[in-house]
Amino acid sequence: MHNADTLERTTVPQQQGAAQRIVHYRAYKPAPFTLEDREQATILFGGLQWRTERLIQGAIERFGYKTAVLPTATREDLLAGRELADIGQCCPTSFTTGNLAGFLRKESQRLGAAEVSRRYVHVTAGSCGSCRFGQYHQSYELALRNLDLESFRLFLLQQNALDQGEAAGQGLDLSPQLMTGVFWAVLMGDVLQDLEYQIRPYEVHAGETERVARESVERLHEALRSAPLRGGRKSGVLWYLLTGHFTAALREVYARYAAIEVDRLRVKPLVKITGEFYLQTVEGEPNYNIHRWLEAEGAEVYPAAISIWIDYLLRLAAQEAEDRIGVRRGARVKRAGAAAVQGLLRWNYDRMRAALGGLPREMPRQEELRALAAPYYHSRLNGGEGDMLVGKALWAHRKKKAHMTCELSPYSCMPNTMSVGAMAAALGRHPDVLYAPLEIKGDAEVHALSRCQMILTEAKRRAQREFEEALERTGLTPASARERLAGHPARLAGCKVPHGGAAGTAANLVLHLAATN
Amino acid sequence: MDTSAAGTETRIAHGALPARDKLRLGIPRVLNVWSTHQFWIGLFGALGLDARRIVFSSDTSDEQMREFGKGRGTVDSCYPVKCVSAHYGELLALDRHRRIDVLFSTMIYSVPSFLHGHVVDSLACPRVMAAPENIKAGFLKEGDAFAARGVRYVAPLVALGEPDMAARQLLAALAEFLPGVTRREVEAAVRAGYAALEAFAAAARRQSREILENCARLERPCLLVLARPYHMDPGIGHEIEVDLQAYGFPVLWGQYLPTDPDLLGWMFGAEVAAGQVRSGLDIADVWPSSYSANTNEILWAAKFAARMPWIAGVIRLSSYECGMDQPTYTPVQQIVERSGTLFFSFQDLDSTKPAGAVRIRVETIAHYLARDAAGIIARKRDASPPDCPLAAAPLP
Repeated sequence: MHNADTLERTTVPQQQGAAQRIVHYRAYKPAPFTLEDREQATILFGGLQWRTERLIQGAIERFGYKTAVLPTATREDLLAGRELADIGQCCPTSFTTGNLAGFLRKESQRLGAAEVSRRYVHVTAGSCGSCRFGQYHQSYELALRNLDLESFRLFLLQQNALDQGEAAGQGLDLSPQLMTGVFWAVLMGDVLQDLEYQIRPYEVHAGETERVARESVERLHEALRSAPLRGGRKSGVLWYLLTGHFTAALREVYARYAAIEVDRLRVKPLVKITGEFYLQTVEGEPNYNIHRWLEAEGAEVYPAAISIWIDYLLRLAAQEAEDRIGVRRGARVKRAGAAAVQGLLRWNYDRMRAALGGLPREMPRQEELRALAAPYYHSRLNGGEGDMLVGKALWAHRKKKAHMTCELSPYSCMPNTMSVGAMAAALGRHPDVLYAPLEIKGDAEVHALSRCQMILTEAKRRAQREFEEALERTGLTPASARERLAGHPARLAGCKVPHGGAAGTAANLVLHLAATN
Repeated sequence: MDTSAAGTETRIAHGALPARDKLRLGIPRVLNVWSTHQFWIGLFGALGLDARRIVFSSDTSDEQMREFGKGRGTVDSCYPVKCVSAHYGELLALDRHRRIDVLFSTMIYSVPSFLHGHVVDSLACPRVMAAPENIKAGFLKEGDAFAARGVRYVAPLVALGEPDMAARQLLAALAEFLPGVTRREVEAAVRAGYAALEAFAAAARRQSREILENCARLERPCLLVLARPYHMDPGIGHEIEVDLQAYGFPVLWGQYLPTDPDLLGWMFGAEVAAGQVRSGLDIADVWPSSYSANTNEILWAAKFAARMPWIAGVIRLSSYECGMDQPTYTPVQQIVERSGTLFFSFQDLDSTKPAGAVRIRVETIAHYLARDAAGIIARKRDASPPDCPLAAAPLP
């Protein structure tokens, strides 16, 4: 096994007699994915939250591919990842490496290695930067070698390109049209997730939100899978931009959510999730099931949208071009292009929000996040969430978007630790920010959750205090507020409670009830 | 020593600064400053600063951290970044006639690399480039320690890997403490900086070639160190290669290997002709995600070692929690070992120099080199093309 698991290694080659030809080391190169493979091979992917994964399946299947989602990574995968790749990986690499390896190992036992290599290909995100995120594939490749699956095909997506081209061979064409479908799946996954997390903590009939969420995801999956194929590889993008196909499906979904009975007078701290991409996105053991744990602890969770990450990457691209105006040819056009795509992203995100009754929260403006973070973290330092991590925590606090921020920081994540370290200065100047940076190792759950619980206790106090202040300000009592709610549209999930200046849902509802009755 | 203002004269951070030739500039001797220091010397010299007033912090040491860095950390990080707090603290603590006016700590976004044009990019590690923001926080969280010492903190972000961007990025930062500095002046100074850096690198490469020529002539082995530039810091790399040198083995650093066309043609010509690589500096065959400059250079140097007969052993140094090195452990080891070259690795280096363990390891390495080097050289030479340009070099 090629596992560098010792502090110090000494390798002495065997004494050999006659001179021999040296066969130099070469990196893994996937075998081509041919047109015939398209019929047989299943594209494996994963590492996101389940709604988005299911929707992406629909978006890819629309183009005739077979797909399968990897199961959510488990602690067992973490251990397998550590075992199969080089020592010292960041926790997301260990989880995702072990996740892929675990799936392939089981399938190999069932089908044999050759059949697994024929039947599956894995598509995963690469990156345009030097963070290990761009080098995850090294770990995957090493794991594959260690599993004797060197002929398994692994393809990388560049996160900064819409046109991924034809992956080696002509069978896998990740065209702009297909990738736009994937982006639309991401946007819809985000707005659905946000809606669900706003409703579930307040549902009157337990399990109703979960049921509607499952049905809704299936409905949208079908909308993506059966979407009409209009236009070519590139021109097909226009159809996505202009169609009402998805907003119609979202409105249908909204009607299901809207009928859920809720009690938003339950006082709950609102906890914003931020952090490293994988850990803030995934829902499961890799982040100690933090979303569900927070809900079980009495919080309302403000999940992290992938769309904000895309918006951030576009901002970085625009900045990079802007800095090079007058130095590089075409920089002005690139900046304008990035800004235009940012605009289209926001416009479509807002269309989808509107189709869901305006309930999903808006994306924060990148310029605003950048300005808030500027004294603490340079906006041109990329890798991870960079200055956005600082900006989001301050934005949530100052704009009363959440009572506390729970920041999920993977063990050994390079860029994330830099942002978290810089937060020390921000907290020095804003000591009232409730900020819980949790180092996630994957196998130290009690420690991380107990740390979170300490901050959550204060967040609960703040939510309660804020609720009482809202009552005092409006002259209502809990009982009279409840009386007003009985005949009010806000007793159903479809009613949007406006942000009245409080962070918590219950306090905002009190202010809304006072204003509307 | 505490770096607060207690007991010392406090100046206002944004108050008047001395004239250029009287200005004392502090530069932390950390991270990629180890590979770019000549640029900064050249730059500030051209801008009229007195070289004697450019103060680099000391080499990293345990004592430095205990005295100047204690309580300044904000987050667990790799060891080389963690150490930066102590360097800041040391520079801020300089007193009386040695007191600095400006603490200049650049966020080096990308690095000049001899592999430029042959790789995807030449970025710095995300932790290394962002270290100043992270370390700064430790000096601001309980009050402004820079202001308290009357020191102006200047930390520009500069893409040194893009020479046409550097002047633009540095201008505003330099104007903060060099009033009246013009764009033209900065452009000229940046050119002088790059020239100084290139001259230094060329001289170092020439010396490396001379060492290799000598080894080829005498059929003698030498060692190659694969590490990041800051492992040259005795407090980071613990001078492991110095201990080996004491056994009589010449030591080369991967960053300063010769890149002369005749030599690269001899080493990589067949692979270029076969279409396996595009040039002797291409690493796509072993490391396609070639974004990071220091990583790229380590991978290329490993390839160099695998094809250079007289490099009989490779020493890999890696620091505690180095995320950039982590995915390279196996590829680097494989590149080296498949050629039959000895490979030794010292991983997770931190503040503690395990002197006893290092001594035993060094003795082991010396033993194997003494025993196997001749065979390794012979096998690698037999596998190489004839007419090595090193062997043809005239005697000095």
